[in-house]
Amino acid sequence: MIPCPPPEAKRRSRRIVALLITVGALLLVFCVLSGPSGFGLPAIRTRTGYDILLLRLNRIATGLIVGAALSCAGVVFQALLRNPLAEPYVLGVSSGAGLGAACAILIGFGSAFSLFLLPVTAFIGAILALLIVLAVAGGTRASVYNLILSGVIVSAIASSILMFLVTTARSQEMHSVIWWMLGNLQPATYGQMVITAVVVVAGILTAWLIAPQLDTLTLGREAAHHVGIRTARMTAVGLVLGSLLAAAAVSLAGLIGFVGLIVPHVMRSLLGPGHRRLIPATAIAGGIFLAVCDAVARTVLAPRDIPVGVLTALCGGPFFLFILKWRGRRGWVE
Amino acid sequence: MSVAALSFQGVSGGYRRVPVFKDLSFSIAAGTLCGVIGPNGCGKTTLIRAATGLLPHISGNIELFGQDTLKLPAIQRAQRVGVVPQELSTPMAFSVEAIVAMGRTHALGRRGMLSAEDHRIVEQAMVYTDVMEMRKRPFPELSGGEKQRTVIAMVLAQQPRMILMDEATSHLDINHALEVMQIVERLNRESGVTILMVSHDLNIAAEFCDRLLLLDAGTLIADGPPAEVLTAERLRHVYHCDVQVQPNPISGSVMVTPTPRLAPAHSGQGTRVHCIAGGGSGEEVLRRLHLCDYSVSCGVLNEGDSDSQTAHALGIQTVLEQPFSAVSAEAFVAAETIVRDAQAVVVCPTPFGPGNAVNLDLALRAREQSIPVFLAAGVTERDYTPDRRATKDAARLIEQGAQEWDSVADLFALLQSRGTTA
Repeated sequence: MIPCPPPEAKRRSRRIVALLITVGALLLVFCVLSGPSGFGLPAIRTRTGYDILLLRLNRIATGLIVGAALSCAGVVFQALLRNPLAEPYVLGVSSGAGLGAACAILIGFGSAFSLFLLPVTAFIGAILALLIVLAVAGGTRASVYNLILSGVIVSAIASSILMFLVTTARSQEMHSVIWWMLGNLQPATYGQMVITAVVVVAGILTAWLIAPQLDTLTLGREAAHHVGIRTARMTAVGLVLGSLLAAAAVSLAGLIGFVGLIVPHVMRSLLGPGHRRLIPATAIAGGIFLAVCDAVARTVLAPRDIPVGVLTALCGGPFFLFILKWRGRRGWVE
Repeated sequence: MSVAALSFQGVSGGYRRVPVFKDLSFSIAAGTLCGVIGPNGCGKTTLIRAATGLLPHISGNIELFGQDTLKLPAIQRAQRVGVVPQELSTPMAFSVEAIVAMGRTHALGRRGMLSAEDHRIVEQAMVYTDVMEMRKRPFPELSGGEKQRTVIAMVLAQQPRMILMDEATSHLDINHALEVMQIVERLNRESGVTILMVSHDLNIAAEFCDRLLLLDAGTLIADGPPAEVLTAERLRHVYHCDVQVQPNPISGSVMVTPTPRLAPAHSGQGTRVHCIAGGGSGEEVLRRLHLCDYSVSCGVLNEGDSDSQTAHALGIQTVLEQPFSAVSAEAFVAAETIVRDAQAVVVCPTPFGPGNAVNLDLALRAREQSIPVFLAAGVTERDYTPDRRATKDAARLIEQGAQEWDSVADLFALLQSRGTTA
């Protein structure tokens, strides 16, 4: 007897996937069409029009990469920590990456060089933050609460150091760090974009490969151990993976919050918690979400550009509060 | 199949290198349905954690089907042993089917896919535990019984040769607990799966298990068929509580029931007992004696002492002294008058200092008149008199035939065997 889910359930999930693809495609078209120079396709035949289109496509690509990385990191952290509020930020990973990247900017290795250095220093910062958090919380077998508590504290410390560095920096550097701390999808160099894209795609693929293990780890480490998962190793792999994705995103676009919170939750409620489908779906949806946020951010106050991090925080803050309350009622965790 | 399913050889295990159990040795033959019982904190759950390598043991050797549990690769370990926990929870709304399929984790291919054969096994497990109709329902929304059946299906899908159950029925009502146990029993009888269940429910353990291991404070007290292990005397000693053990005509095993405190066999029938207490040491003794219909008196106590408050609340006749004062001659004489009429004197585990050590003289006077005296053991550790007077008095009391007791249950057994007849 081969299991076959009831046809109506299958049809429903197919319909949702089809709908998501259609909506996603439409949103991407919207992103291409919108910009500070006005809504509509720029005149490609003119030099300016071509440049504008290139600029928009560039920003969309950055948005797709960064959004995918942040939301995928969110999914991984939420599964490993069994906590709906887990995000690269909660673990202190983003702040660590931010501090690492800011050091590279402030020390100023020369702008061309520092662009290649950014992802590396961001990853070093992220991993250091993660190691400190784990050491304080008690290793990979640490309880969920210890982990989150120490994450919040390390995050606060990293932010303070960052602020200190910013206030003691020269004004020009300060401006670039602050702009970057707010999060934006200003086109980076192609080289940096390609490096980041490769890292992000590899990371998402790895997350997809360990999806069944992530499913099982939501039962808790003890139950996962009993069905044959090397929990300490798998948790370490997942945490490094999440940090890598977050660091890649931070190095490319600065600190953009809440994408890793909103997108996984929305996709989970649409597609169910199984990570095999959730991870690719969340990656695509996260990318599109950030690209759309950016399209809105660059058109609303045109010709002024709002940092996209401001917009995601405006959407994400209330969402965070909603989940906090909803979780209390529904007993999301434990 | 001569290799034992699970064997412990001189194993000590616990947390942060503080052993919960010490030098534990036993082995469980493949195909048995064995139970582990014992009071809270005796090391039952720690034992299961050690057996699966979740909590590395401190010393000794644990083997699963002839292989060191700590050296077994995760996948091979999962093929040998599955665990049904007390409660399983996931924060995410996985369907019942998805949860059961997690039992096949050890069979996942390189790309993390399950084969058609794996799906068939999952389906079979769901049929076996009767969760097939709710396969699409979110696991967190199920009732306790449905959840446990789903978890058993998950462990079945794992196809282990041995299943460890960690108080798996303790959150369930009688009906659902029996249902779960029947599934497990059928598995054991039909498929020869070895079962080791940790349980608080002595009756379920007695009914379903072929063999019981009784643990107390980390040591193996008894090991054998339920009828041999579950004796009233042994359970009273381990659980510090009186029980009756009767044959269970339906299951052919035995049945354990706590003895009601006011049962006729227990009644003090108005026997006059004088208690020497203080500092809260006598609260339980006073309360239990009073409940069991003894005619109780108490003293000498200081006013405001927690024992004096208990005595007052129970309406027990008490000889009182001023707060924070040494026992005066007058109070002593008053107490002595009461003791003279008593049929037994109980000395509670009271700390003795210069102020109240004189109370032990009351017990000595009682012995002079051949009134039985029951002395809480360990006076030496509670002796705060500068001249070790209490220790000396206690030794004299023992010399003169006073009997020592450890727990309140012991005391009651002594009172019944001697106190009322003397």
